[in-house]
Parts: sequence; structure tokens; C-alpha cells
Amino acid sequence: MSDERVSKRARARILDRVREANQEREPVEHPGALPDGLEPPGPFGDAGRSDPVGAFEDRLRAAGGEVVRLADEAAARKWLEEFAREFEHVSVGVGVPDTLQPALPKAPPSEAALGVSVAVGAAAQTGSLVLSSKEGRQSQLLPPVHLIWVRAGDVHTTLGDALQACRQDLPATLALHSGPSKSADIGQILVTGVHGPGRIIAAVLLGPKP
Amino acid sequence: MDVHSRDYRARARQIIEETPEVREAVNAATQTFVDNRQNAFADLDGTALSRWAERVKSHALTHLADYLEEAEARLIERGAHVHWAETASDVHQIFERIVREQGVKKAVKAKSMLSEEIGLNPFLESCGVEVFETDLGEYIIQLLGEPPSHIVGPSIHKSLDDTRVIFHERLGTPRDASPERLAEAARDLLREAFLTADLGISGGNFLVAETGSIALIENEGNIRLSTSVPRIHIALVGIEKVLPKWADLPTFLQVTAKSATGQPVGCFVSMIQGPGGLPGGEPDGPEELHVVLVDNGRSRLLADPEVWEALRCVRCGACLNICPVYRQTGGHAYGYVYSGPIGGILGPGLVGLEETLPLPFASSACGACADVCPVRIPIPDLLHVWRQRAVERGLTSDVERSVLGLLTSTATRPRLFGWAEKAAGLLPAPVLRHLPMLREWSAGREPPRLEGPTFRELWDEGIE
Repeated sequence: MSDERVSKRARARILDRVREANQEREPVEHPGALPDGLEPPGPFGDAGRSDPVGAFEDRLRAAGGEVVRLADEAAARKWLEEFAREFEHVSVGVGVPDTLQPALPKAPPSEAALGVSVAVGAAAQTGSLVLSSKEGRQSQLLPPVHLIWVRAGDVHTTLGDALQACRQDLPATLALHSGPSKSADIGQILVTGVHGPGRIIAAVLLGPKP
Repeated sequence: MDVHSRDYRARARQIIEETPEVREAVNAATQTFVDNRQNAFADLDGTALSRWAERVKSHALTHLADYLEEAEARLIERGAHVHWAETASDVHQIFERIVREQGVKKAVKAKSMLSEEIGLNPFLESCGVEVFETDLGEYIIQLLGEPPSHIVGPSIHKSLDDTRVIFHERLGTPRDASPERLAEAARDLLREAFLTADLGISGGNFLVAETGSIALIENEGNIRLSTSVPRIHIALVGIEKVLPKWADLPTFLQVTAKSATGQPVGCFVSMIQGPGGLPGGEPDGPEELHVVLVDNGRSRLLADPEVWEALRCVRCGACLNICPVYRQTGGHAYGYVYSGPIGGILGPGLVGLEETLPLPFASSACGACADVCPVRIPIPDLLHVWRQRAVERGLTSDVERSVLGLLTSTATRPRLFGWAEKAAGLLPAPVLRHLPMLREWSAGREPPRLEGPTFRELWDEGIE
């Protein structure tokens, strides 16, 4: 039997069996959203709500990420120039504004020393940056160092809020990056940069959106 | 995967007696997980969270058919292919066609317990596909030709030195290489594989029905790479992985990570809605996304009125980490892809009680697993159900049944019990050592001295 007919038959049989399995069972209602205050808070409690950027920074740092705060676009450009000096070449995500791109020769993601992205959001609760596949995934994953721009106004307190903000326009893949790549699979000893970037820098742009 | 659970006792003994370092390694790793998990939940109302998670999962399971259809529709809208598979053989057939039609020669694979259930790697190899396990722990055991020892950390039974040895032999690293050097060697080799593979294979932690999203949690980045670089991505998802809404996902991501390793969330989370590349209108990403919805015994388990709750499992491994029995041996003793307490209830459900008979008995009934389960699966109760069924079906040893039957008859007859007490007091103590079932228990203990009045005699006299 062709694989597609196998799949069709399997579909019908699985759904039938599942429906039959539940026939005599009391259905359980969805409990709805978690009641306020029970949503896993950060270690910072109320601070997370009043200072999401500060809480985000604490959490990402605790996971081994680096965070830098930049007062405005001018400060960002100045910082970027200094930061980019140690890298030979760069791979930049599609749609990263020119002003946020380092003046380095471009290289394919598999060869570039540095990758640059713009996050579509961030969550203080988990120290996460939300990345979209629309800018291209390889520059987010292959270079050993990953610089991610994020606007302070896009830093949400909870992960729930950060994901809800993306709900209406989901790309092929939405990703959360919450620290450098790591593993303790070798004799339970922590090593970083195992497959993904071993160094991530979140550059937070304070000040209003242009 | 071949199931060898019937050999549990012999394998457990062998591991404990012949390779004591495994017990040490497993204990150290699981203790770290346990401590980190405890810290992660210290400031939270864990009970309220697990009650919520339990209800969401039970709701999903009691409405499973509708949610599966919804997830399928969302995925198809985004250009993904959705396949359904009842058995391992169905999954093989689906892979075989894609491998043949797309000329797949090399595949990179993210860790997937389901893929172990259905024996995917040997099948792909028989199709001429070179398969690279990319999770560092899975890669290590792939080199060693061993199965995984733990849901979250497949190589926790292997020491640093074990890894040094195998890497030295197979990758040419120095015999005393540092962990960083070993990781670098693996990264370089696997990076080459990511960049040249035709196919990326993953499992799925969750399947969100509302958006058709496959959610994957990890720390290394190998799942992001496996599901982003090759031109084809196949995701294997058990039908029980469904979550109803997008809004359910953030809490499940956090609760699973905290329960597994104590982290707020894994370093990388992928939420995949459809193919990338040209079909998705994106600069890169797989041109083809295939999602295989797999039954493999799950619908039968769902129909079981006493044990269906086992399907709430989110594969966090918390029950393994806390289980005093699991910690003696690690996962290999169980001879099945799922070990520890969850293995004891899923195994008989998915594969059958005859094949996995010792597993529900591999328990001290301490109940610690139920305390840490983030979706409140009543594991000790379900272990008990399987044990009862084993006795009812005549699968347990005749000697054990007779002895326990005798004990029950005596204990439920007060006068007979009183006489038995007196008689036991007359027995010379060493005799107890030789009774069946007491032999091993008494090997390391002084026999009790049965002298003086019994409690019942004292009671009748009126104890002061």
C-alpha cells in the first residue's frame, strides 16, 4: 500500500480509537489562564513588573549571557564600533537596520565570526530573547558569537506576554534564546558553545522607537 | 527498539556488582538535578502549578481527536505535510518514501525518545542513510553503541574518562583532553554534518493545536540547527503531546525546564509552524516540513480507564531523578526506552505487561515520584494497578503468590495470627534467614530476637 494510503488509513483508525477511548470518560474542562500571582514569577517578584529591563538583564546574565544598555542610537553606534573591532567578518540577519550593522566585511553564516540579529521581543521572566526566522536562522546559530539588538519597549515581564505579542504574525519558526549554548553531557561538567553560539550579547536600546 | 525488560533483575544486579562506578555517576547527576529542581520551585506554588498543568493535559487528552485535527489543519495551511502512523512500521514506510524520493544520504538527528521506541536509526541505516546523533550525550552513546540511560541526560552513566577514551579512539583527541577540547571535537565534526545533511529529524516536546506549533526545548542548539539547516525536516510527535492553546505553552515550557534541570527555561526553544525557505517566504530554513503523528500504543493506553493518566507525561525526568531504585542502576537495567517510575507505567501500557513485567515491581513504593511530577500523574497508584494485573493474569511467581497468600490468610485471622506469633517466638532465630524472600533481606542484618510478651498480650493486660 502506498505510504499516503497508509497514512490516510492510520489517520482514520487513530482518530476512531481516540474518540472511542474518550467516549465513556468524563471530559475535563480547560482551567483557563493561570490565576494571577500563580504564574511563575521571577526571583525578583515585583521588580519584574516595575523594571523588566533590569530583571531581564539579571536573568540573562545568570544564564551566562552578556547584556549592555545603550541610551540611544548614537550611543549604540559608538558602542558597536568598539565592539566590532575584535571580529574579522559578520553575518547579518535580513532586516537589521543599517545603523545597527557593524562596518565589517560580510561572510556567509557558516564562516562569519559574528552574527547580528534584531529580536522581535524579550521576556524578563526567563531572560529570553524572541527571534524570528524571517530574518534568517543561520546567522542566529552558526557564528560562535551572537549579538542581538532589542528595544527596551519590547521587553515584556512574563514569557506569556512575550509570546502573546507574537501570536498574530507567527513566522515559520519563532525561537527563544536564553543564554549561550551549553551542555553537561561530558562527565557532568559544564561546557559552552557546544553547537549554538557560545557567547551571546543582548544590546538593549533604551529610548523611544525611531 | 528491542525490549529487554524481562532481564531487569539480572541486569540491575550486573550493573551494581560489576560496574559500581555507574551507580556513582548516576547518583551524582540525579542529585544535581534534584537539588536544582528544588531551588527552581522554592519561590513558587508548585502545587497550584501542577494542578493547573494536570487539568490542561487531562483536558487535551479527553478532547484529543478534535485537537489533533485542529493541529493538522493549521500545519497544512502553512504548507507542512502531516502523516499519521499507527505503528513503528508505518513510520518506517513514511521515512522510506521521503528518503527515496528526495535522495537522502545523510541525516542529523535531535534527541527523540519516540524515535528510539520505533527503532528509527537502524531502519534509516538499512536504507543507506548515514545518521548523526547531534545531542552531545546521544552522540557519545552512539559512538559507544549504547542505548540512552536517562530521558534528559542520555549519557549520565558515563564518566569524563569514559568519554576521553572513546573520543581518543574515534576522533583522535588526546587521551587526557579537557572537556572543552572534547566538546570542540564533537562540535567541529557535527557542524560539518549539519551543513551537509539532507534531512533533519526531531521529536516534539509539545504540539500546540491552536497554531499547529511544534515546540522543542534544548540547551545545546543542536535542535535549532537540525531543524533549520537541512532542506527537509521531519518531526516525530506522539499523539499525546498536544497542548490546546498557544497561551498554554509558556507555562509548560517553564514548568518542564524547571522540573527537568531547574532552569527557568532551556537555552533554546524552537516553535515551528511550517516550512521556511521558498514555501515559507523566508531567507532560509527547510523547504519541506513533515510532521508524523505517531500512535504506537498510545490510543490503546488512552482507552484504559485505570492507567490513561500516564499519557500526561511531559518527559521531564523528575521522577527518574528522585527514584531511589532508578538511582542504583541508571536506565540500562530497565531494557526499555523509558526507565524509572514513568517506564514502569508507560512500558506495560505501550508495549504490554508480558514484555515489561519486572518494571512496575522495580519500586520501593516510596511515592517520591508522585511528589515531583509536574502534571500530577499518580505514579505509585498506577504501578500498583499494573502489579495487581500481573498477579491476576498469573504472571508473577507461584512461590511469591503462595507465600503472600499464606501471609494474608494468617494476618486476617486474629487467633491464627496469635498462634503464629507464639510459634515464631519458639523458632531458633537463624531459621528466619533461610525462609524464601527473607534470605537476601536478612543477609546484611541481625535477626530480630523474638522474646518476651507480644504486643497483643501486653494490650490484653493493659499497657501502661
